[in-house]
Amino acid sequence: MTAQVPSERYLQPVKRADHSQSGNPGTSPFPAENRWAEREPMDPVSAAADFRTVLIRRTVRSGQSIHYPGNIVVMGDVNPGAELVAGGNIVVMGHLRGMAHAGATGNEQAVVAAFRLTPTQLRIANHITRAPDGEGHKPDQPEVARIHGGAVIIERYPATGVRNLNG
Amino acid sequence: MGEVIVITSGKGGVGKTTTTANIGTGLALLGKRVVLVDTDIGLRNLDVVMGLENRIVYDIVDVANGNCRLKQALIRDKRFDDLYLLPAAQTKDKTAVNTQQMVDLCAQLKEEFEYVIIDCPAGIEQGFKNAIAGAEKAVVVTTPEVAAVRDADRVIGLLEAAELRDPKLVINRVRPAMVKKGDMMDIEDMLEILAIKLLGVVPDDESIIVSTNRGEPAVLDRNSLAGEAFMHIARRISGEEVPFMDLGANDSLMTKLKKLVGLGR
Repeated sequence: MTAQVPSERYLQPVKRADHSQSGNPGTSPFPAENRWAEREPMDPVSAAADFRTVLIRRTVRSGQSIHYPGNIVVMGDVNPGAELVAGGNIVVMGHLRGMAHAGATGNEQAVVAAFRLTPTQLRIANHITRAPDGEGHKPDQPEVARIHGGAVIIERYPATGVRNLNG
Repeated sequence: MGEVIVITSGKGGVGKTTTTANIGTGLALLGKRVVLVDTDIGLRNLDVVMGLENRIVYDIVDVANGNCRLKQALIRDKRFDDLYLLPAAQTKDKTAVNTQQMVDLCAQLKEEFEYVIIDCPAGIEQGFKNAIAGAEKAVVVTTPEVAAVRDADRVIGLLEAAELRDPKLVINRVRPAMVKKGDMMDIEDMLEILAIKLLGVVPDDESIIVSTNRGEPAVLDRNSLAGEAFMHIARRISGEEVPFMDLGANDSLMTKLKKLVGLGR
């Protein structure tokens, strides 16, 4: 086996969150009231340890949004104009075409995995990325996005064979 | 006891009113007792497309507010005895009717008619909520454009939230030659995103413009390809199994090969 190359293709980072105005460095780049307005503010440490998971068994369509402090698993597609925002990881067992934000409370370990990963925009913790312009990349296999070396990368999933699943 | 079907799309200009007029007229051609309800209060068009504008005395707002009896507001079509139109008001706005009034109205209409076809306004606000309030089934109209498909997706989500399960899709204004060249979204792409059942595909047809301007639905024109497609849709709604028209939009062997080797889109 050759050494694993971690990055299959790079998303072009559009911008990094600007924390200078928010007065709340190190957490979500967006004001808290946009996110879980009715909930009490969450501590990033406890959010990282939050293993609660919600299972959505339908297509998430344009205009629909799912916000959850733990993990989100969707059995179905996530269409353009829909948004998923999770404190933890996001797994889409279908085609992710909408916006996904994993680790929204600042968890940089969070990942976004999908059978077909072509999101409008992908956010992990305070990193915001989109696909490069003009590149109509159409994946034909499952992929996972995570933060590696300070940038969001997308790699094949599983990277090499099934034994990596536990790694 | 009839069924109440709402024709909706989210986006404007994709052909809701044309679809309503043609499905309604098509069902009437099949001998069904049909009423068309225009819920686009303030921007009514269905009466014009049906060529019945000059017969309006009372409208849906008059019925909802009890200014007249339902029978007085129903306009009988000039071609079919069993086809009726309940027109929208032009001088009011969408708030002139509420959802409960629509539910009651639809309940009354389906006592009398086999099919109650509701023409929904564009948008997802009060007019949309009114239009779907009394409906049991929904037909979503879209065109092969990204914006129209996006709006259709939004509307399907709202229909599902309103417990209107299993909406059916009509893809309007398809240009087979453009699809073939890869310049227009193909039907499979749209079905993959929207993930609902296909009710019909209507080709883009200049004769539609002529027929809507004249107030003669295209299903009555034997030479209109779009009219034929709408007739097929009407027959499918009535429960018939009708094979889909071959518009020549399917991939030829050559384009399939090109796709395989990564040349085509």
